[in-house]
Order: sequence, then C-alpha cells, then structure tokens
Amino acid sequence: MTGAPSKLESLMRKALAGDQQAYSALLLETARFLRPFLSRRLNGASEVEDLLQEILLSIHKARHTYDGQRPYKPWAFAIAQFRLLDYLRSHYADHLRHAVEISEVENILPENVTESSFTYESISAEIKQLPEKQATILQMMHQEGYTAKEVAEKIGMKESAVKVAAHRAYKILKEKLVR
Amino acid sequence: MKDVDTLIAALAREARPVRQAPHPFVLFAQWMGGAVVYIALTLLYSGLRPDLLARLHSPLYLLELVLLLGIIATAALSAALLVFPDMHQKRRMVFSPVLMFALLAVLIVISWQADSPPSPPPVHSVECLLYIAFLALLPAAWMFYSMRKFASTHHYLAGSIALLAAFSIGALSLRLSEQTDSILHVMQWHYLPMIGVSLIGLWLGKTLLKW
Repeated sequence: MTGAPSKLESLMRKALAGDQQAYSALLLETARFLRPFLSRRLNGASEVEDLLQEILLSIHKARHTYDGQRPYKPWAFAIAQFRLLDYLRSHYADHLRHAVEISEVENILPENVTESSFTYESISAEIKQLPEKQATILQMMHQEGYTAKEVAEKIGMKESAVKVAAHRAYKILKEKLVR
Repeated sequence: MKDVDTLIAALAREARPVRQAPHPFVLFAQWMGGAVVYIALTLLYSGLRPDLLARLHSPLYLLELVLLLGIIATAALSAALLVFPDMHQKRRMVFSPVLMFALLAVLIVISWQADSPPSPPPVHSVECLLYIAFLALLPAAWMFYSMRKFASTHHYLAGSIALLAAFSIGALSLRLSEQTDSILHVMQWHYLPMIGVSLIGLWLGKTLLKW
C-alpha cells in the first residue's frame, strides 16, 4: 500500500462498484493517513480512535458523493475536518458547562493541594505521570506562578481549554492522592 | 485500533455497487430548469405587468432582471457545490453569488439616483415581501429535499444559499408581474429582506442538512 493519490482513487472506484477488498484497503489506508491528522489535534489516543471511527462511518455514508474522478484525499479530509470541528464544538461546550473556576477547584479537593499538606514539589512525581500537556499547565500555574490566561498565551491554547485541562489534571490527581 | 479494524471489516462487508450522486452541474441544471418552469407558471397565474414591453426598453430595469437571474443561477450553482463534502473541489465557484449581489447593490444605487423625480410608491408594502416568501416556499422545499440526499460539510452556508436562490425566484417573478417603478419600494420590500432570508437559511441549513 503506497498511499499514492492515484491508488486511492482507483481503490475508491472499485469500492463504489462493490469490491469489498478494495473498500477495505481504502478504509485502512484512510485510517492510516487520518490518524496523525487527528493525533495532532486531540489529546488522548482513545479520543483519536473514537473520532476516527466516526469519520470512517461518515465516509461510508457519504461515499455516493465521490465520483472517483477527483482527488480522494481532499474529499476525505473535508469530512474528517467537519467531524473534528463538530466533535470539538460539542466536547468543549460540554466541558465548559461543567468547568469550574480554578479558584473553586481547590475547594472541591478534599485537601487543598496549594496549601500546607500538598505543594507542587510534594506531588511532582504524580504530576509527571500526567499527560504532557496537563503536566506543563500545572507546572506553569503552580510552580512558575502564571495565571490560566498567561499559560494560554504562552502555549497557544484558549484560556478555557487551559482551565479544562487543569481541571482534568486536578481530578486525576485527586483520585491518585485520595487512594 | 482493534475497534477501527473491526469497523473497517464490517463496513467492507457492506460494500455494494453505489448509485452515485449526480454531478453538481446536473443538479444545477435541474434546479434552473425547475426555476424557469416555476416562474412561468406563477406568471401565468399572476400575469405579466401590463407595461413590461415598454419597461424592457429601460436598460436599468433590464439589467436588474438579468442580475436577479444571475443571483438565482449563481446561488443554485453554489448550493449544488456546497452539498458535496469537498464542494466538488470547485471552491471559487461557491462564492460567485457575492459578485452578483455586489453588482445588484451597485445597480440599485444607480437606479435610485436615476429615479428623479422619485416614482410614487405603490399603496401596498409588506405584501410584496409576503408574496415573494410565499412564492419561494415550493422552490425552497424542493431544493432542501434534494440537498438532504447529499452530505454537506457546510450545511449552514448551503442552507443560506439555497434559501437565497428560492427567494430570488420569487423576487424575479414578482418583478415581472408587479407594476411599480419605485426603487425605494423595491429595495425595501424586495431586496433588503434577502439578507434576513439568508440568515434564516443558516438556521434551516443547520437543522435540515445535518447528516
């Protein structure tokens, strides 16, 4: 499987004619080139796999809109981009509904990680086990003293996304530390 | 990873010969053919304006009709492209209605300046908007029905453009049947509502063209 454009179009033409093997090869190749595209835009591997499945289903559903004459990749990427935006929109809308201000998060925790019993240093080993982005955010906020807004500017994320990531990290830490 | 492979295997088992969607130009031709027939039928019902032949000698009026037809055609073409996930890889054509709109806006300004002394406005006002909206119902329903068979990744825009095309069909029909030369009236009750209609189309597109 080379993934050369002409190969993909040829596979799709065969798939549209009912060739199951060609269709399977096409979808495998599509998954192969979409996975890095999604990985660069999403946090976890499970999110990538979930969305990838949704995109493959959409490609299957919309395959009658492809004629086998024009390049396949722009068509597939258009669907992938559409589903990705849809996913991010609903994902962030959902998280923002449940998002809690950083100042309030400390009250949610059974013990205040920023005060006496926990310091950033005392739980740095647990923090290092967090996903890289979350660990960086906590380090910047609690060790280097940046606000969520400043962190967002420095690492090129939205402030709301930083808060959501921090909130997730606190939840993970809470579970680990309470155990 | 394993789930993806399982899904691919399941989808591949469903592979059957697929009836392809028509080319966007075919869809466009169908819609334009339908629009011409529909306008003819509505004019049969409402009748042509009595002074139409005389008015056709006015370049501004003639150009207005041509531009309205241009808006219908470009909007229909744009909608036909927007129903494909990749816009059939003809992105530039999608934005062709913008040019027609700009030209119509310029023409309206010129017609306004040329309307001196101003032509008396007709006694009716909002009735025109309602009549155009009524005329647009059937074309809009047809277009949305056709569009739902495709897979638009720009459903907001597709809905907006489709409704604009349908409304323009109503506007052209009324412009050929209503005997008024008041450009202010035409601007206020025929053309400005197009903006509002396009906004409603965004919502309709979001609701009806989801897949």
